[in-house]
Amino acid sequence: MPIKTWELDPNFKNEIMSEAGGERLASCFQCSTCTLGCPIAEIVPGYNPRKIIQMSLLGMRDEVLSNPDLWICLICQTCTARCPQDVRIADVMGALRRIAEREEEAGKLKIDSPRPLFDKAFQHQLKKFGRLYDMGLAMEYYPKKEGSFIKGMLAMMKDYKDFGMRMFLKGKMGPLGGGSPVKGMLASKIKQKDVMKKIFEELGEEGKEK
Amino acid sequence: MSVNKLAYYPGCPSEATAIEQHMSTEAVFEKLGVELVEVEDWNCCGAAEVEDPRVVYALNARNLAIAEKEDLDIVTPCSICYYNLERSNKALRADEALRTKLRGIDSSLDYNGTIKTKHVLDVFVNDIGLDEISSKLEKKVNVKVAPYYGCYIGRPPETAFDDPDNPVLMDKLIELIGGEIVPNFNYMKTVCCGGPLMMTRGDIAFDMARKILDVAKNAGADCISLACPLCGMMLDGKQADIEKALDVTIGMPVVYITQLLGLALGIEPKKLGLNKNAVDTKEILGMVV
Ligand code: SF4
Ligand code: SF4
Repeated sequence: MPIKTWELDPNFKNEIMSEAGGERLASCFQCSTCTLGCPIAEIVPGYNPRKIIQMSLLGMRDEVLSNPDLWICLICQTCTARCPQDVRIADVMGALRRIAEREEEAGKLKIDSPRPLFDKAFQHQLKKFGRLYDMGLAMEYYPKKEGSFIKGMLAMMKDYKDFGMRMFLKGKMGPLGGGSPVKGMLASKIKQKDVMKKIFEELGEEGKEK
Repeated sequence: MSVNKLAYYPGCPSEATAIEQHMSTEAVFEKLGVELVEVEDWNCCGAAEVEDPRVVYALNARNLAIAEKEDLDIVTPCSICYYNLERSNKALRADEALRTKLRGIDSSLDYNGTIKTKHVLDVFVNDIGLDEISSKLEKKVNVKVAPYYGCYIGRPPETAFDDPDNPVLMDKLIELIGGEIVPNFNYMKTVCCGGPLMMTRGDIAFDMARKILDVAKNAGADCISLACPLCGMMLDGKQADIEKALDVTIGMPVVYITQLLGLALGIEPKKLGLNKNAVDTKEILGMVV
């Protein structure tokens, strides 16, 4: 489909370049090295980091920000390591994700991926405990992803049925996990939890809303 | 040997899914005569889920500051923790304004940029050194290994400590302890395991992990060795789920490099957590002579 030039946003590239990680966007000369080495491009038809960069430079703001492909990038850094222009594609992806999340929070966009919900649940757990608590993360993420508590619990049981039992039998999860009678079942908390709260409130997305 | 004491950052999986990596790391350093002092009250590095770099820098400023008070460099067995600690260390060293800002948020984030952050592989080969390790070996680990490095050892360039296309640090250790590197696995060494997509696009993640397992199997490996708990979760913890979902039989043991090294140093398998890997490791134990 031809590009509608009157719908392009000439400021989009500046918006990305002022976001942490997006600074080097404009150096891209479209060689496609990034796409050729990308493990996702090998599996998912149409996935193309070079094209995302090109569309960003052209100012196709809506198409880029609503593209579900943004959320399947592994941030594996293969493209970044190989790019002859040091575009830092993986970091650009991160910058685009954060812009898209802000748009969604402002009600201007609907993100077609559960990834932001997972990231938010993770950050929330981290803010609360200071460390990753697998069980708490799953209990928070699945209901949000599935849209209700019951559906979430059912989906979680399906994903964790075999895996959870396997980890339990190896003493890695559940009441005997982690080498003590309660680890794995309960959150491992740090003492200075207040510092985590301060970090997320001052620097995280919550801080920006203020 | 240039190093005898380090701050140790275990990372969150050390308490659950990668407890065997934690156990074997502690046991190996003890045997090598390097004292590990756990970073007191350490917090999560942000993993791959905190995408705002400034939040990652703040989280790790606290970890770095705790080790700095002890005047010790930090070592971690997790590639993702290493990446987050090292990029934070670099950013904080270079940016006075950032340090001042973080200090203003809380005094525990007051880091002056005086210590180094390292991955265990780097410490083994480049700090302790192969000669020193060789002098302490008690057994030959006669195993054919597919050495899998994953993402953050050879890239991105500013934090990498091995070659991006053909990393060799793990290969060197395996050869040192009497193991053999299988041919035809090199091109898989650094292809991502799919771990970051496990919770949101399990289908893609399973495809990616399966490729690595298949290539290792076809290359004739007795086991895969690795140096990151997320890779461990995908390739070992989820292997049975992958077999079931994709209707294949793989049965490939997956061990941490610290477990293999520990065997060569004569450490008890149980102390190395070799009964905790999801895919049975008994066959590997039979190859230690
Ligand atoms: S490798 Fe770099 S320069 Fe080449 S297309 Fe990708 S981003 Fe652009
Ligand atoms: S970081 Fe993303 S775009 Fe780059 S190679 Fe990895 S999956 Fe592909």
